[in-house]
Amino acid sequence: MADAAMGMQRRRVLFQQGTVLKAFVLALLIALIVLPLIRTVMFTLQPDTIKAWSDVLTGRLSTNLFYKPLGNTLLIGVVVATGCILLGGFLAWLVVMTNVPFRKTIGVMATLPFMIPSFAAALAWGSLFRNDRVGGQVGWLQGLGFDIPDWLAWGIVPTLIVLTLHYFSLAFTIIAAALATVNSDLIEAAQIAGAKGQRIFLGIILPVTTPALVATGSLCFAGAVSNFATPALLGLPVRMQTLSTRLFGMIEVGQVGRGYVIGILLVLISGAFLWAGNRIVSGRRSYATITGKGGRAKRFDLRGARWPLFVLAMAILVLSTVVPVIVLTASSLAPSSANLFSNWTLHYWLGQSDPSLAQGIPGIIYNEDIVRALTVTLSLGLAVAFTGMFVGLLASYTTARFREGWASAAITQISFLPLLVPGIAFGAAYIAYLGAPIGPLPALYGTFMLLVIAGTAYLLPFSVQTGRAVIQQVGGELEESARITGASFARRLLAITVPLAIRGLTAGGILIFVKIVRDLSLVVLLFTPTMPVLSVVAYRYASEGFGQFANAITVIILFISIAASLIANRLQSKSQPWLKN
Amino acid sequence: MRFLTVTRLGAISIFVSTAAIAGGHLNEMGPDELLPLAQQEGKLTVYSFTSRIGKVEKAFEEAYPGIDLQGFDISSTEQIARLKAEAQAGVTNADVVYISDTPVVLSELLEAGLIAPYVPPRVADRVPAQYKSPLLAQRLSTKVLMYNEEANPDGAPVRNLWELTTPDWTGRVVMVDPLQRGDYLDLMTEIVLRSDEMATAYEAQFGSAIDLDGAANAGEKFISDLFANDLILVGSTDDVNAAVGALGQDNPPVGFTSYSDRRDNEEEGWALQVANAVEPAPGIIFPAVLALAAEPNNPAAARLAIDFLMGDESEVGGPGLAPFYVAGDYVTRTDIPPHPDAVPLDEFTAWRLDPAKTTTIRAEIGDLILTLQ
Repeated sequence: MADAAMGMQRRRVLFQQGTVLKAFVLALLIALIVLPLIRTVMFTLQPDTIKAWSDVLTGRLSTNLFYKPLGNTLLIGVVVATGCILLGGFLAWLVVMTNVPFRKTIGVMATLPFMIPSFAAALAWGSLFRNDRVGGQVGWLQGLGFDIPDWLAWGIVPTLIVLTLHYFSLAFTIIAAALATVNSDLIEAAQIAGAKGQRIFLGIILPVTTPALVATGSLCFAGAVSNFATPALLGLPVRMQTLSTRLFGMIEVGQVGRGYVIGILLVLISGAFLWAGNRIVSGRRSYATITGKGGRAKRFDLRGARWPLFVLAMAILVLSTVVPVIVLTASSLAPSSANLFSNWTLHYWLGQSDPSLAQGIPGIIYNEDIVRALTVTLSLGLAVAFTGMFVGLLASYTTARFREGWASAAITQISFLPLLVPGIAFGAAYIAYLGAPIGPLPALYGTFMLLVIAGTAYLLPFSVQTGRAVIQQVGGELEESARITGASFARRLLAITVPLAIRGLTAGGILIFVKIVRDLSLVVLLFTPTMPVLSVVAYRYASEGFGQFANAITVIILFISIAASLIANRLQSKSQPWLKN
Repeated sequence: MRFLTVTRLGAISIFVSTAAIAGGHLNEMGPDELLPLAQQEGKLTVYSFTSRIGKVEKAFEEAYPGIDLQGFDISSTEQIARLKAEAQAGVTNADVVYISDTPVVLSELLEAGLIAPYVPPRVADRVPAQYKSPLLAQRLSTKVLMYNEEANPDGAPVRNLWELTTPDWTGRVVMVDPLQRGDYLDLMTEIVLRSDEMATAYEAQFGSAIDLDGAANAGEKFISDLFANDLILVGSTDDVNAAVGALGQDNPPVGFTSYSDRRDNEEEGWALQVANAVEPAPGIIFPAVLALAAEPNNPAAARLAIDFLMGDESEVGGPGLAPFYVAGDYVTRTDIPPHPDAVPLDEFTAWRLDPAKTTTIRAEIGDLILTLQ
C-alpha cells in the first residue's frame, strides 16, 4: 500500500519534471531553429517567388537545377558517411582496444584533420593533384612528370576523398569515446567464456556502440551533403554541382527564391535519411554501459599485425594532416604560388606595408583587421562553445531521460535540423529572422549577439549528438538511487550526470569551438565589417588572389584549434583511459 | 544623469543640423568646405568591390589626417546582398559604396532607395554626362578575352570569338561560372544582345550564314556551342588569370578576365594580354560606380572620400586615383590622359554595357546557362 503510494508519487514527479523540461527545451529549439527556417519557407511562398518551386521541380531547368545536383549530393553523403565510419572506426578501435604502437600519437593525430578547414584541404589537394585541365600552374605530381587524369584531379572522386579525410576524425572522436566506455565486465565475461576477438567485436562491441556509429554516420552524412567549399573548388572545372553549390550560386546571382527552394528540399531529403537513422537508435531500449562498477579490460594483442596496422594508420593520418599543413605553410611563405618551395619570405606574416607587394597590405601581425578579427573569433568560439554545450546538455539529458512521448522525438528531430541546412542558407535565414527588429527587440544585424545565437543554433546538432551518445550510456540506476535518497533535479544533474558525462560534453565543446572558429559558410553572410571573423577575412584574401595572407590566417586558425584541443586533452587526461598504458 | 541628457541633446542637435545640411548644402561644397565638417565626423566606412581600397585608405589618411577611412573589400554581388540586409535591419554601416554590377545596382539599390547619387562639384564639369547619371562612374572596368603573350609572341591566337567553339579550343577556354559571378552573366547577356554582330562574325569565320539549329538567336547559339566545346568554369578571376597567364606553358588556354589584371603580371608570374582584335568584340567594358549610402552616418566625410577617389588636380589624379590609373582601367575624367601602356579607349573594341538593356534579359540568360551545365 505504502509502496504503491510512493510509486504513484514518484511517477507524478517524473511526469511533471519531464513535461516542464521538455516544454522549455522544445520552446528554446523552436526559437533557435524552427522559426528562422519557417521564415525561409514563407519567403518562397510569396506571390513573386512561388514560381521558384516549379522551376526547380518540374520546369525545363529542373534537371540541371535540382535532379543532377541531387544525385551528386546523395552519392557524396552515402560514400563519405560510410568511409568515415570505416576509417574513424578502424582508428578508434586501434587506439582504444589494441596494443598498436604509438597509440597516443595516433589518437592525437586522428583528431586533427577536422580542424583543418575543408576548403584548405581542397586547396591542398589541388596543389598536389591539379592537372593541366584548367591550364596555369599544375600540381606537384603533374610537375614531377605524372600524368594526372581528370577524374583524379577534379570532380566527384577528389571531393569524396577530401571530405572523407576531413570528416573521419569526427567519426574517430565519437567512436573512440563510445568504445572507451564499453563495460569491461561484458568483455571479460566473454573472454572467460572463451569468445574470440571477432565474436567479442560482433557480439558486444558493435551492438553497444551502435548509437555512436549511427550518430557518426548521421553527422558525417549531413556534413558532407551540406559542405560547400570542397565541391565548389574541386567540382566546378568539370561542372559538377551539388545542391549546396547550386544554392550558393543561386543566392550569389540574386535568385534567392530558387536558392531557398533548393535549400528547403535539401533539408527535407537529408531529414528523411536522418530520420531513418534515428529510428534505428531509438528502436533499441537501453544503451547504458557506464554502470556503477567496472574497470578496464586487457587490450587485444595484435601480434604480428602491430606494425603493419601502425603503418597503415600513420599513412592515413599523414596524408590527412601533415601534408595539407605543409602545403598551407609553404604557400603562406612563397611570394609566387608557382614556386611553392622557393624564395620564401616572412613578409606576409611580419612585413610592414610595402606598396610594391600585395597592394600594400601589411603582414598579418601589423594588420588591424586581422587582429580585430582574431579577438572576435576567439570570443565567438568560447561563447558558442559555452552556450552550445549548455543547450546541448539540456536537450540530450531531456531526450535520454524522458525518452517517451512526441516531445522528446520532436526535440531530437529539431536538434538535427541545422545539420541539413547549408551554413550559407542558415546564415541567410538568420538575417531574415533577426536582421530586422521584432516588436520591441532591436535588430541584431551586425552584432556579436547575432553571431553567437546563430552559431549556437547551427552547431547544436554536434553538442546534442556528442552529449547524447555519452548521456545515454550513463546508467539510469545511478540517478535513480540519488532520486530515492532525495536529491533534487539540479543536484542530480550536477552531481551525477554532468561529472559522468563531462568527457563527452567537453569533447562536444571543443568540437563546437573548433567548428565555429574555422567555419566559413555560416558566417559569410552574417559577417559585417564591424564584426569580422578570421575565416571570412581569410576567404576574402583568397578570393582576391592574396593566397599567402589567406594561408597565413588559416595556419593561425589551425594553431588555435590544435592548441584548444591540446589544452582540452590535458584537462581531460585523467578521464581518458584509452590513452593510458 | 544631467550629463547624459546634455550629451544626448548635443548629439541630437548635431544630428539635426547635419541632417539639415545634408539636404542640399553638402552636395554643393568643395573639398575645402567639406574638410572641417568631415574632421568633426572623424571617420567613414567604404564598401569597395576591389582590394585596391587598401591603398586608397592609406593615401586618404595621409591627405586628410584625423579622418579614419575604413575600407572593406566586398564583392559587388555580396555588397548588394549586404546593403539589402542592412536596410532591412535599419542599420547603416557603409557611408560610401564603390561597386560594379550596375544592372543589379540600379534596380535593387538605387531604385529601392538604398543608395544615393553624388557627383563632387569640383570635377563635375570634367566627367561626361553619361558617367554622371544615374550614378557617378569613376572608371570603366572590363571582362575581356585574354591570352598568354609569352606563348603567343606574335599576338592573340584567336581572331574571332567563334573560333572558341571549334575543336582547336576544346577544353581550352576558361571563365568564371556566370551563375556565380554577376559580371560574367553580364558578359553572356551582352553576347546575346549583340546577336546581329555575332551572326556577322559567324559568317566571317565559317563562310556561311549561321544555322541557328533551334537556338533563339546567334548569341544563344554561341553560348550553347561554347559550353558544348568543354568550356572550363572556375571560381574566381584569379583562377582564370593563373590558368591563362602563368609563365612557362606550352599550350595555354585563353579566358575571359579583367584587362587590368595585367598589372599583376610581374608580381604573379603571368603573361596576360588582351585579345583586342578579336571579332566581333573581346568582351564587355562596364562602369565602376561611386555612391553614397541613402543616409550616411558621416555625410561630409563620405562626400570628401568620393571627391578624393575622383583624383586631385595633378596630372594623373594624384594618390586618390593612383591605384586605378593602371593599364586596363579607363578613368572617366576627361582631363586625365589615357594610360600609356593600355589600348586607348577609342581603339578598345569591347562592347559598352548598357545596364538598362542588360536587366531586361539577364535572368533569362541565367536560365539558359543553367540548362547548358
